Amino acid sequence: MKPILSRRDFLKTASAATLATLTTGAPRALFANDELEKIKSTADTVIVLWMAGGMASTETFDPKRYTPYEKGLDPNRVLSTFPSIDTKVDHIKFSEGLEKTAAVMDRGTLIRTYTAADLGFILHSRHQFNWHTGYTPPQNVHCPHLGAFIAKTLGPLNPAVPAFINIGQRFDLGESEELKSFTTAGFLGSEYGPFNIPYPDQAAEAVRPPAGMTPGRFEDRNKFYKKLLSASPVGKHGSDYQKESLLRSMDNAHRLLSSPAAKAFDLALEPLENIRKYAPGYEPGQRFNASLDRMGAQYEAQSVGRFGLGCLLARRLCEVGARYIEVTTEYIPFLNWDTHENGHSRLVSMKKMIDSPIAQLVRDLEERGLLNRTLIIVASEFSRDMMTEGKPSKPIKDQVEVPKTIEDPKFYGMHRHFTDAGSVLLFGGGVKKGHMHGLTADERPCKTIKDPVNITDLHATLYRTLGIPANLSYEIEKRPFYVTNDGKGKAVMDVLG
Amino acid sequence: MKRWLSIALVIAGLASAEAKVSPGDLAKLPPAAAQPVDFIRDIQPILEKKCLQCHGRGHDKGGFRLDDRALLLGESDSGKAVLSGKSRDSYLIHLVAGLEPDSVMPKKGGKLSSEQVGLLRAWIDQGASWPKGISFAKQPPRNLHPTEVVLPKAKAGENPIDVLLKPYFKANKVQPGGAVDDRVFARRAHLDLVGLLPEPAELETFLNDRSRDKREKLIRNLLGDDQRYAEHWLTFWNDLLRNDYRGTGYIDGGRKQITQWLFSSLKTNKSYDKFVAELVHPKPETEGFAKGIVWRGVVNASQLPPIQAAQNISQVFMGVNLKCASCHDSFIDDWKLSDAYSLAGVYSDGPLELVECDKPLGKKVKVSFIYPELGALNTSTNKAERTARLAEVMTSRENGRLSRTIVNRLWQRFFGHGLVANVDDMEQAAWHPELLNWLAEDFVAHGYDLRHTMARILSSRAYQSEAALEGAAPEKTYVFRGPSVRRLSAEQFVDAVSQLTGLWRDKPVNDFKFTTNQLAQLKDRTRSALVPADPLMVALDRPNREQVVTVRQSTPTTLQALELTNGGTLNDTLKRGAAKLASSGDTRTLVQQTYVKAFSRKPGWTERRTASQLVGDGKPTPAGTEDFLWTIVMQPEFQLIY
Repeated sequence: MKPILSRRDFLKTASAATLATLTTGAPRALFANDELEKIKSTADTVIVLWMAGGMASTETFDPKRYTPYEKGLDPNRVLSTFPSIDTKVDHIKFSEGLEKTAAVMDRGTLIRTYTAADLGFILHSRHQFNWHTGYTPPQNVHCPHLGAFIAKTLGPLNPAVPAFINIGQRFDLGESEELKSFTTAGFLGSEYGPFNIPYPDQAAEAVRPPAGMTPGRFEDRNKFYKKLLSASPVGKHGSDYQKESLLRSMDNAHRLLSSPAAKAFDLALEPLENIRKYAPGYEPGQRFNASLDRMGAQYEAQSVGRFGLGCLLARRLCEVGARYIEVTTEYIPFLNWDTHENGHSRLVSMKKMIDSPIAQLVRDLEERGLLNRTLIIVASEFSRDMMTEGKPSKPIKDQVEVPKTIEDPKFYGMHRHFTDAGSVLLFGGGVKKGHMHGLTADERPCKTIKDPVNITDLHATLYRTLGIPANLSYEIEKRPFYVTNDGKGKAVMDVLG
Repeated sequence: MKRWLSIALVIAGLASAEAKVSPGDLAKLPPAAAQPVDFIRDIQPILEKKCLQCHGRGHDKGGFRLDDRALLLGESDSGKAVLSGKSRDSYLIHLVAGLEPDSVMPKKGGKLSSEQVGLLRAWIDQGASWPKGISFAKQPPRNLHPTEVVLPKAKAGENPIDVLLKPYFKANKVQPGGAVDDRVFARRAHLDLVGLLPEPAELETFLNDRSRDKREKLIRNLLGDDQRYAEHWLTFWNDLLRNDYRGTGYIDGGRKQITQWLFSSLKTNKSYDKFVAELVHPKPETEGFAKGIVWRGVVNASQLPPIQAAQNISQVFMGVNLKCASCHDSFIDDWKLSDAYSLAGVYSDGPLELVECDKPLGKKVKVSFIYPELGALNTSTNKAERTARLAEVMTSRENGRLSRTIVNRLWQRFFGHGLVANVDDMEQAAWHPELLNWLAEDFVAHGYDLRHTMARILSSRAYQSEAALEGAAPEKTYVFRGPSVRRLSAEQFVDAVSQLTGLWRDKPVNDFKFTTNQLAQLKDRTRSALVPADPLMVALDRPNREQVVTVRQSTPTTLQALELTNGGTLNDTLKRGAAKLASSGDTRTLVQQTYVKAFSRKPGWTERRTASQLVGDGKPTPAGTEDFLWTIVMQPEFQLIY
């Protein structure tokens, strides 16, 4: 090799692979990084159960003093609108309505001090972007989703199952552009992007021949495709990279669609009694009426089913070897966990929506011997409070009016966005059992007082269970882009077994 | 830089290097490597990776530079850093080995391994040899000033591109591929200039034309088709200028479209200097570009709108990546934080304070262009005056980078590889500098006319030669042999399917603000670039335009193939299209016409027979036709540009 005269000239001698990379901007892992720690993984699969819209921790996994509703109530007195209940672990209490999850608390770890980033005036999707990528939008390169980083780094667990599966979110509702912005592989390339399944009961359609096509016709179509391919002059003259990759991608897709693993997507194959455990009131074959979806309460009653079915689907996919699955309660501005009013009554139904499915998923995976190597994470972009918007130390512009005295039940609930302390529940995948991490204040503001966990460290913890070091990076535009912000994530060792 | 400099001064002031380190510490030094050290193999990579970001290429933190051997061995703020032959006593070794916990080098990034320290020690002990010709000093900018090219003697009518390539081919021992036939050329030219497949009638006319200049004529006709040209190039510019009809930012008014202006500028073939000037010195209909995207809430200093403007203007028009330098002095090239802020200052409403990695530095910089040698900017407090002057400097005759950057982007589009490989890093050398220079000068000499340069390129023998087939394992160094095989973009694919099925989008998004007349013409004939992305286009890599996208991914993926195989968007279109086609003719005609439309050629005997079996003998069935259309659009011959 002749001497390299300057960095600029380096390109002249760089391999064409590098050149191709630079032209297309395709990322490369920086394996040359000499400080990558070798980590023994404790999990092969991650399931994120996403409580979209800001789940109030004092109404769920971090209950404080209960103040029942009465007319004329001073909102400053209200910390929780539900009584506490015992869990399987003596020193951990939950909020009423989470009894089934409480009964499996001995299998997991509860973090009570998730401290969300300070992003100013709240926009849910911006905090969700931050949670899912570890970075704050906007960024000057297209940030990959956590699931894409994992898909890129570890690949699929079973080649016939997409590595990054995203269940339950539609992208034609409010703030959908902002959601799309992070539900993507970004600069890693679409190979690592999400396989989106908005309706779990229709998941089978995503891995089946097109609607209305019999398997026989589907196979025939493929045979004719191959025949015409070999008859085409392009099929005859030499091989080129573009053609080869195109044909390979078609073969992969065909293999996936005809693989036995594809059956995992079909909830109709699940025995009815199992479905009932995940989705009270759900009848197989039931479809949701999109026109009713926007009608608030009715929608919520129906979506009890959708989240539960998502969890059931996650279990089935886990059984055939999925790598990263996310199941969301679905983010719809001002619905589900996004309670700007009627917080109390809305949380009754939200807890109903999540309680059985979470507990059942834990039990089912345990029963199948999969919980050991599967990390389940229940999380939300931030918590809520009746009075404080943002953090006590960094108050931000209020979005929700709170009256001096509560004269109407619609004001009874946690309606402001609280970023100082939120709950994260972890099960399996090498986390401690029956453990609690972090302490929050018992009086307002119920802020983090011990062991805060930010997104960078939470991600580092999650990556660690998978054996991925927090400072692993991919090169984009000649600079390293790390899986945790600037590669600085420190795993919270206290929650790992 | 100031912070570290002051630390260095304190260290230097307190004590000499040697006095700071105890003999016990020195014993902890990793041993020198035993083998003879080779600078290029062993040392240069360490310097490149660990040192030059702060001590080379114009950086001199701590007053220390290692541009060359003399500077390496010279005085720094802390005395001599390296004593040749004495690595044990060299301050540089103490610092990289971590003997001084307060100033372990490198300050940023990973520390050196014991092996690396050992190599440096051995190198110093062996006399710190430094091969001639290697310098890490700051280099003068490349591809910046206009450079006239004198063309070698050529036959009359020979395209200057081919004239310039002739010696290149010879020097690189390349036997260029033969010329493609009229059908292949027509398909390429149509897809490249107007983004569509040639319609059978258009193709027929062209094939039957017996004139010698028929290819030039076709190029002229396609470039003269303002509407179809604009509909196609809209995608390229939407990607480059981050213009989209939906996306982040619009929710709170933090973003503004330039759709209407862009479309009409393309349609009227606005000269490129004027086009750029109108974006850089914005008027209401173009200000969306320089305004950037503003999310609700607090935004990192390096993503404030004026900094976005600096990044995007530099990247898009000048082929300069200022993204790193928007946060701190770049570790990967020569750009500094102050360069980004000097340009951003043009767009700031008030004085802009430097912020390094989100920490305010308490100082401001004067407004200036990233290449000050091209002309001083206006420091007026009036923003419009500042942007006006910036536009003047950027589009001045002196700025040879503006033209090189855009002609290189065009070359990359048409050939699959840029003359400068990384189209966003015009500091790199082109594989044929004279060709780049000539194209740029020719572009300027013809009034910054993009269509002129397109015609130049498309009428070259180089463009019209057979595709260079590239293997999966690419060559070590790129050598131009002809156009690469390229893939249809999402929009080209979707439009081509529309051409086969006759099913287009109903109408463009309102943002074009078309007149009733224009809308009537586009009714049920609307192309994909004029509507928001659907799941099919997203799967085929139509980007969400939050960042500037100058080159789309081109490698097919499994998820894409899944969308193509069972995705609703495509299958629905094929089903509806097939129903229509099946009811309107016999199988033979249907197969024949589909082949001509899709591949610009007639089916062969085997193809005709196989396809007819699928479509339905004699009379087409809707299901058979649908499956036939699918097998056609899945062919590499359909999805690739050969």
